[in-house]
Amino acid sequence: MFFESIDFSALELPPAAQGLRGEVRAFLQAELAAGAFTPHLGHTEFDAAFTRKVAARGWIGMTWPKRYGGGERSYLERFVVTEELLAAAAPCAAHWFGDRQTGPSLLRYGSEELKQHFLPAIARGECFFALGMSEPGSGSDLASVRTRAERVAGGWRVTGQKVWTSWAHRARAFFVLCRTAPDSGNRHDGLSQLIVELAAPGVTVRPIHFMNGHHHFNEVFLDNVFVPDERVVGEIGQGWRQVTSELALERSGPERYMTTFPLLVELIRRLGAAPDARAREMVGRLTARLWTLRRMSLAIAFALDPGPGVQQDAARAGPDLGTEAALVKDMGTFFEREIVDAARLLVAVEPTPDATDTFERYLAETIVCSPVATIRGGTTEVLRTLIARRLLGALK
Amino acid sequence: MNVPNDIRSMLVESLTRLMQDHVDPKLLDAAKQDGWSQELWRELDQAEFPRVSLPEEAGGAGGTLSDLAAVLRVAGRFAAPVPLAETAMLAGWMLAASGLSIPRGALAAGPVHEETVTARREGSRWTVSGKLSRVPWARIASRLVLLAQTATEAIVASVDPARCRIVAGRNLADEPRDAVVLEDVPAEQAAPAGAGVTRDALRLRGALARSLLMAGALERTLELSVEYAQQRVQFGRKIGQFQAIQHEIARLGGETAAAVAAALSAAGTMERGGDVTLAVASAKIRTAEAARDGALIAHQIHGAIGVTDEYALHHSTLRLWAWREEYGNEAEWSAALGGAIQGRGAEQFWPAITAL
Repeated sequence: MFFESIDFSALELPPAAQGLRGEVRAFLQAELAAGAFTPHLGHTEFDAAFTRKVAARGWIGMTWPKRYGGGERSYLERFVVTEELLAAAAPCAAHWFGDRQTGPSLLRYGSEELKQHFLPAIARGECFFALGMSEPGSGSDLASVRTRAERVAGGWRVTGQKVWTSWAHRARAFFVLCRTAPDSGNRHDGLSQLIVELAAPGVTVRPIHFMNGHHHFNEVFLDNVFVPDERVVGEIGQGWRQVTSELALERSGPERYMTTFPLLVELIRRLGAAPDARAREMVGRLTARLWTLRRMSLAIAFALDPGPGVQQDAARAGPDLGTEAALVKDMGTFFEREIVDAARLLVAVEPTPDATDTFERYLAETIVCSPVATIRGGTTEVLRTLIARRLLGALK
Repeated sequence: MNVPNDIRSMLVESLTRLMQDHVDPKLLDAAKQDGWSQELWRELDQAEFPRVSLPEEAGGAGGTLSDLAAVLRVAGRFAAPVPLAETAMLAGWMLAASGLSIPRGALAAGPVHEETVTARREGSRWTVSGKLSRVPWARIASRLVLLAQTATEAIVASVDPARCRIVAGRNLADEPRDAVVLEDVPAEQAAPAGAGVTRDALRLRGALARSLLMAGALERTLELSVEYAQQRVQFGRKIGQFQAIQHEIARLGGETAAAVAAALSAAGTMERGGDVTLAVASAKIRTAEAARDGALIAHQIHGAIGVTDEYALHHSTLRLWAWREEYGNEAEWSAALGGAIQGRGAEQFWPAITAL
């Protein structure tokens, strides 16, 4: 029914990936010891200096071809790096989108010029990307975007408004999903992806503050912004297919079930060596959930990995694991909440943003951000509809 | 790419065909009365399925523990009323690992609970004694294989259930769960327990077997629910067209996928070695939780027809409700796993999760 191509009993990370894990841990421990970053939960922090250090170790764009600054390493090695960064609550916002979404999209659909222009800079940790998908009138219903691009000599003029654009105030450019042809009945036609520089004339970025005052969201206004033809990603009119084809990787990664994980570690520390039966039971239950989610996430990484020596930019017909990815994200986001709930029920503290104790600070940070995970990257409701459609087929 | 191996695919395919050919409502209903299906057992036995993963030199059919895991998943899917898990995963394993040959026929294994069987040597023969509760399949098994204790060592002994006092019991799905009293019962075969054959290992293997069976049973509840939602019409529409039903189907799909992933993954860990307790405890906890939510979602989708004894769903859901308690429910395994994690401390937690 699901995971048809997967042999769960044989899933095992290769020695190279486990070796890499040691390197990543040593790096993170050294950074922490040097006070290079303070781990925070809730919002992933944007730290360009930290991102450059990660890049210097070859951990951004690590699956990409070497000629574009990549490391030609496996998805499994990337999986290990991602989960270690999350376990350490390292500040990854500067490179998260570029590594996970922009890079793979450019590899698959971008022109040679675009790849050469952006990929090495992303991999060096020097070029940060944001994503311009949602609009005031388009949340879950992404195909309803109204930002439009008009054909002009040598390119396009883009006008519209994007919203919830995380880190647009720090990024260099963003992928804009927009309408390049009027809606002719099939609303998935006529959409395209363009790369817009955030410093370009006609672009205005305004902050939207999160309910705790944190600034990572923005609204971005595009007023007749010129985008040259070379900055079109893939084909004009193919934007919908391009955006949805990368969902398996986007929705199945450890970032979909590990964003509150460091709170679980602090909870275990706080509970001590011999807590009562209720605490033991809750910790055991959460562990079983984590262990299972990780196996499912790993299975998708295994299945998508093209294997050693295969070029990652080839337009290959990999297995379609979009539904499996939706399952991981749906269950993963609820698991993240269960950690928060277990922490507050087992250790009675009144949450405050001023807490100096790590456990208490993590608790406060995760509670405030707890609505977010089931909304971004596909709401619970959208995911479940997608999963049901696969199971039920098209009912008439 | 990680591709399921061909031999296992063939094994699963032929077992699925065999089950489809033989397991029907009539057979399942008859098994409620008889305790099992001897007819199905004969078919499985002829095709060597009860001996998968057991070494050929002991009378087994060869293959790996992961092959057996795949077999048990299919058995769970069809609610097969036969002791496949006990014969191959528990009794056959104890015998083969202790250098004993595996007799033909259905085997039961014990002890299942915190009970002790004592073994005593009389000349060249061993006898065993003890009182055991709720031993799966004891009254229909041709041999009962026990992990017994002397003052100094553990003994694996096989006895004829006809020489024991058996009080029939059953689980929610009418599978035999019998009380067995042994009073100096002579062993047909006995030997010091082989390497790795311990009470803990027996319990882990029992829990793994139930996890695999539950994963399969959940797959069946999902299949039935999807089929029903595609056909049943209410308010002029197929109920699968209602988003409320779709979302419940999606949740059931998620629970099922998680159960399959956890159970098969744990089998792989047991086969290769590693933190077997973490893997099996996680699998039993997760499959039991999936059984709790999944069985009730499936019933909710079916409405009243699902709770009748003429509709097939109950064969799966009654088993899920029985199996989730057997060899430790999710509360017991969670407390044990949580206790071990707390004992090792916070710094060891992530390394333990990522060791494999």
